[in-house]
Amino acid sequence: MEKRLYINRLLFFFICFFVIFSFVNVSRAASNDKQRIYDFAKLLTPQEIEELEELSAKYSAKRETDFIILTTDDTRDSDVVGYMEDFYDENGLGYDKDHGNCGILTVDMHNREVYLAGFYKAETYLDDARLDRIRNKITPDLSGGDYYNAFRTFIKTSYKYMGVRPGVNPDNILFNLWFQIIVSLMTAGIIVGFMAYSSGGRMTVGGSTYKDGRRSRIIARRDDYIRTSTTRHKKPSTDGNGTGGFMGGGGGITGGGHSHSGSRGSF
Amino acid sequence: MVIHYKCPNCGDDMAFDSQSGMLSCSSCGRKDRIEDFSEEFITTTFSDDEAREYHCKNCGAVLITEADTVATTCSFCGAGVVLADRLSGVLAPAKVIPFTVSKDEAMKAFKRWCKNGRLTPKGFMTSDRVKAITGMYVPFWLYDLNSKIKVNAKCTKVRTYTRGDYIYTETRYYDVYRDINLDYVKVPVDASEKMDDELMDKLEPYNYSDLKDFKTPYLAGYIAEKYSYTDSELLNRAKSKIEGYIENYIKTTVATYSSVNYRWREINTRQRRAYYVLLPVWMLYYDYDKAEHTFAMNGQTGKVVGKPPISISKVVMWFGGIAGITFTVLRLLSFVMGGVF
Repeated sequence: MEKRLYINRLLFFFICFFVIFSFVNVSRAASNDKQRIYDFAKLLTPQEIEELEELSAKYSAKRETDFIILTTDDTRDSDVVGYMEDFYDENGLGYDKDHGNCGILTVDMHNREVYLAGFYKAETYLDDARLDRIRNKITPDLSGGDYYNAFRTFIKTSYKYMGVRPGVNPDNILFNLWFQIIVSLMTAGIIVGFMAYSSGGRMTVGGSTYKDGRRSRIIARRDDYIRTSTTRHKKPSTDGNGTGGFMGGGGGITGGGHSHSGSRGSF
Repeated sequence: MVIHYKCPNCGDDMAFDSQSGMLSCSSCGRKDRIEDFSEEFITTTFSDDEAREYHCKNCGAVLITEADTVATTCSFCGAGVVLADRLSGVLAPAKVIPFTVSKDEAMKAFKRWCKNGRLTPKGFMTSDRVKAITGMYVPFWLYDLNSKIKVNAKCTKVRTYTRGDYIYTETRYYDVYRDINLDYVKVPVDASEKMDDELMDKLEPYNYSDLKDFKTPYLAGYIAEKYSYTDSELLNRAKSKIEGYIENYIKTTVATYSSVNYRWREINTRQRRAYYVLLPVWMLYYDYDKAEHTFAMNGQTGKVVGKPPISISKVVMWFGGIAGITFTVLRLLSFVMGGVF
């Protein structure tokens, strides 16, 4: 009886824990009318822009970092990095203040180049390595012309990575809710299944129970070597940039003196 | 021929006492060493006639027995009797393991076991609904088996190494031969057709150091059966019991190889000896929720087997609890590792 009460209490505790955990992020409301999608290259329909604005507003508020999409046909005598830096300086982008936290995805349609940058908070949380990961994820979509999906992925992945402490692999499968749920259910299923299976008593005799150790042995053995066959294949290349284009030189500092992280590539 | 044990002191019925291992009288407390009893009854041969009527030596009533029963209690006066002609000639057991768990201990141990059942319904754990508890000597054959095994296999050892820009996989092939002798002794197989084989297998192991030469007084006060199958009829079951053990042993002899491909194998198992023994089992019949559940307890070691009812609500509770704990641990872990909620 006491044991049962105890288990019930334990269960209640875990349910509370779960509820608190799952609501802690959602509670912060998201609303402001800032523009975050600058589609100068006209890659998106008005409806798509609206949807992305909404999505970005929601996730930007949660991480206190603006996720900005910038597309252009003309980088004005500069490259994609310089264009982005100038744009940041001129428009005073940032969630918390002018020239504040933001992650920018810049697409240069003229040179078919893409550049991802993180400023301030995003410079720490979206470092060069993480931006490389995001860029590798969205490059296939960009090459295929599916810009809307590429931009969605950028916003969502950046949001996800910014929830993971810097320096930790953000793609660790342990961080996924579905993975945690599946592992929990499987563990419980295996343990309870074993309990039910063994509730009727288990076999406790094995191979050595009845074996007569003095007379059981190998009488004769032969291990004749016949031949050797060797195959070889090339080592897989170690540099991770398999999606084409060249590696970006990482971050830099804008003309206005704002430092940022970065990842550059073509598509 | 019916044997009944009358106390030389007071004339009351005597029965086997599991505590002292002696024949004892419940009225005056007299105890007799079983080893000192004469062996004349089990060596005498009688006709093995199933339709025969037995009369209780104590009260004279007709004993109601089944064809396989060799020991029982008289249903009129309660005296423990042994039907000696069903234990003679080819039906004479070679050995017996006497009960060491008494009826009271068996009940206590069973209740303890029920309480430990984490998935059994609450009512099952607390109520005392043992309908019947019967001490029973179950006939077993103990087989001494000898297996001669010859195997020939093509085996490989695989090694990988890196040199320059290439990864090399080197496979070395071997022709492997093993000649193995395996002896398994006293492999028990239950010889009563009434007993559930799976239940009896789970009761193992028995401690064979307590095997005693068979004497009829051990059976006094208990139910006992004679075997329904001969040793040659059950040899295949004995062989199948050690099949898996042999398989595993062969595997350990070639464990150093990465892959084993058997070309041919010869496993020749023959019976060296078979002993007819009686092993002690407590049978418990338990009523719960309009259904009868049967449990068996090893009368020597106290191990309990049998399928208890399973409570759905307890299964759900355990499932929820374990899933909840695992989930919380994973969540905390991911928080500690990466600050992820």
